[in-house]
Amino acid sequence: MHALARALERLIRRMLRQADAGLNLLYGWRYNPIYQSGTIVVLLFLVLLATGLWLLLFYRIGAPWDSVARLTANPWTGNWVRGLHRYSSDAAMVATLVHALRMVAQGRSWGPRVLAWVSGLVLLGLLFVCGVTGFVMVWDGFGAELAVEGARIVDALPILSEPIGRAFAGERPVQGVFFFLNLFLHIAVPLGMALGLWLHVSKLARPVLLPPRALGRGIVLLLLAVALVWPLAMAPEASPFSRPEFIAVDWFFGFWLPLTRPLPGAAVWAAGVIFAAALLGFPRWSRRRGTELPPPSTVDTQICTGCLQCGLDCPYGAITMLPRTDGRAEVVADVDPALCVSCGICAGSCAPMGVGPPGRTGRDQLETVRRFMADPVRRTDQVVVIACGHGAGALTTDLQAEGGAVYPVDCAGNLHTSVIEYAIRAGAAGVLVLACPPRDCRNREGPLWLEERIYHEREAELQARVNRERVAVAHVSAGDRGTAVAALRQFQARLAGLVPAMAEATIQVGAVCDPADEERVTG
Amino acid sequence: MKTPLRRSIGFVLAGTSVMGIAWLSRAPYRLHPSEAALIRLAWSARPERIETCREPNEAELARLPAHMRQKVVCEGTSARYRLRVTVDDTVVLDEVVRGSGLRHDRPVYLLRDLPATPGRLQLQVRFERIDSLIAAPLAAPNSEEKSDSLLAGLPGRDRREATERERRRQEAVPATLALDEVVVLSPRQVLLVTYDVENRRLMSVSDHGVRGERP
Repeated sequence: MHALARALERLIRRMLRQADAGLNLLYGWRYNPIYQSGTIVVLLFLVLLATGLWLLLFYRIGAPWDSVARLTANPWTGNWVRGLHRYSSDAAMVATLVHALRMVAQGRSWGPRVLAWVSGLVLLGLLFVCGVTGFVMVWDGFGAELAVEGARIVDALPILSEPIGRAFAGERPVQGVFFFLNLFLHIAVPLGMALGLWLHVSKLARPVLLPPRALGRGIVLLLLAVALVWPLAMAPEASPFSRPEFIAVDWFFGFWLPLTRPLPGAAVWAAGVIFAAALLGFPRWSRRRGTELPPPSTVDTQICTGCLQCGLDCPYGAITMLPRTDGRAEVVADVDPALCVSCGICAGSCAPMGVGPPGRTGRDQLETVRRFMADPVRRTDQVVVIACGHGAGALTTDLQAEGGAVYPVDCAGNLHTSVIEYAIRAGAAGVLVLACPPRDCRNREGPLWLEERIYHEREAELQARVNRERVAVAHVSAGDRGTAVAALRQFQARLAGLVPAMAEATIQVGAVCDPADEERVTG
Repeated sequence: MKTPLRRSIGFVLAGTSVMGIAWLSRAPYRLHPSEAALIRLAWSARPERIETCREPNEAELARLPAHMRQKVVCEGTSARYRLRVTVDDTVVLDEVVRGSGLRHDRPVYLLRDLPATPGRLQLQVRFERIDSLIAAPLAAPNSEEKSDSLLAGLPGRDRREATERERRRQEAVPATLALDEVVVLSPRQVLLVTYDVENRRLMSVSDHGVRGERP
């Protein structure tokens, strides 16, 4: 199962890589809807709440189809609101699935992310239930078929002595209490979704819940435009005494009808249980094992100055500060291994290089870059391209063909700025950091903190003595070959106007967190 | 790619995607490809009880709390029924139906869908008790109260028990229910056969209303 899960990851990653690249080209990474899929769902959820509250004013439990038909016939305050409500729910389903696929492709479902994965699946289930109950409310052919087929499946369980399906058999009109319960579910489930959303992001520091305004406005306006130019029509009311040849199906919520209708109820349950178990068990199967399993960060308490920065930068809230007992400082960093995903962002945030995953602390990085710069194969006038392993690292061959000396890192946020400084002072023509697009960062905030450290003096900043003209940052995903090559060429052209770089004989890079607690690391 | 071209393609792609979503939200699905009609059997009915009734002795009554003492105790099970549906002399359904619940002591809840060829059909539905009732309910008690000391504090109890047994017997489905009709089914029509509790008979219902009104 592990191999299968990893193969699935690779397959989806390949598919998304192409889509990412194409959409980055068209919309730029800031507005790439795939990167924003999670926040788009939240936005659409808000649209659904707003339009749903309005529609609720006109819905009548005693006359479900008639009340919706009246609403649909009103082009000013009814039809377009209903259309926006419908299309938003469909788009939310699409965005949720894309979001889930991204998480699978990026291997973000296991370890400390299990809660987010499971709560995400629950949210998907709640969205599905919410959508289905919404269609049942209309009580047209599709709504009735959802109810009838759903009842058939539930009736396969030996828990109710009276089949639910009899409620729709035509012995008597479908009772108002059914529509009341359905409406209750349709309203209550979103409340559960709000709670689920809170749980979903509960392990994240600084969760981003909404997309950039321009993208959000664009999506809502597009959905509204379609609701206006292609208004919803009303299908005939459901009747237990006729079997319509065709019904209009919303495939985002009714996709299961052709799959379950030919099967006995017990088989549907069996298939459903297997499918749900596969989804819920995915974190277990995709979990890294053995040497693949990245170790959580550790803190060298002798080096830690208690500056708080690693705790501030950690995207998962895995680092807390504990009181110190040796009298050196008030507090010392402490990593909770149950929350740490081994992103290494803390290593990039620690000026004295006292925290990080084993082998990826600032000190380890300095040692690696020292060996890299000393490699005789590398030309001294080459641009060092620091490529994130999850993104531009896949373009190593292309970047090398353009004359770049590719220095791979696990995550751009893991990169300690001393590495950049060391490379330049060791004679590199320049350092181009190719980070993933911020919303595509596997570790959430890597590119954000990297730029802050390089350009905005965030703690563990790139020292002022480093010539910023020899440093550049670009955002490229694994499929953005053209963007990566263009960024490198542009940077090379810029460097061509500068005086040739000179290697320093002795390089001391600063690892300063607090001037009073300065420490020098010699590379 | 130049920016205006990129924007144009981006706009067209976004528009097409949303239109695609809109289309998929209403795309037709062929729910019932065949023109077959449907005969739906749907009813609930309380099966008759097959019970052996006896009067408990003083010792048994003494073991029970006062409110649980009954003059007549009945034990047994619910009767089984044979459901047989014939369309134009062809048996399309023949099965034994029991009360629901693990002990089959709950009402019979029936829901069966039988496909049928549209057109004129001779439909026969029979719902017949299989088991014979082993013991008939006890006759109505004498008007005199039982003078047993254990039941003395519960005046009229035996009469109420008898009334209750009679009510249950009346509620139970008749030993035989039958429907024998010529029906004309149009394509994709659903004909419902259900149990008319008030008149204690089977009846067929369609979108044209109740059929098979019989004197």
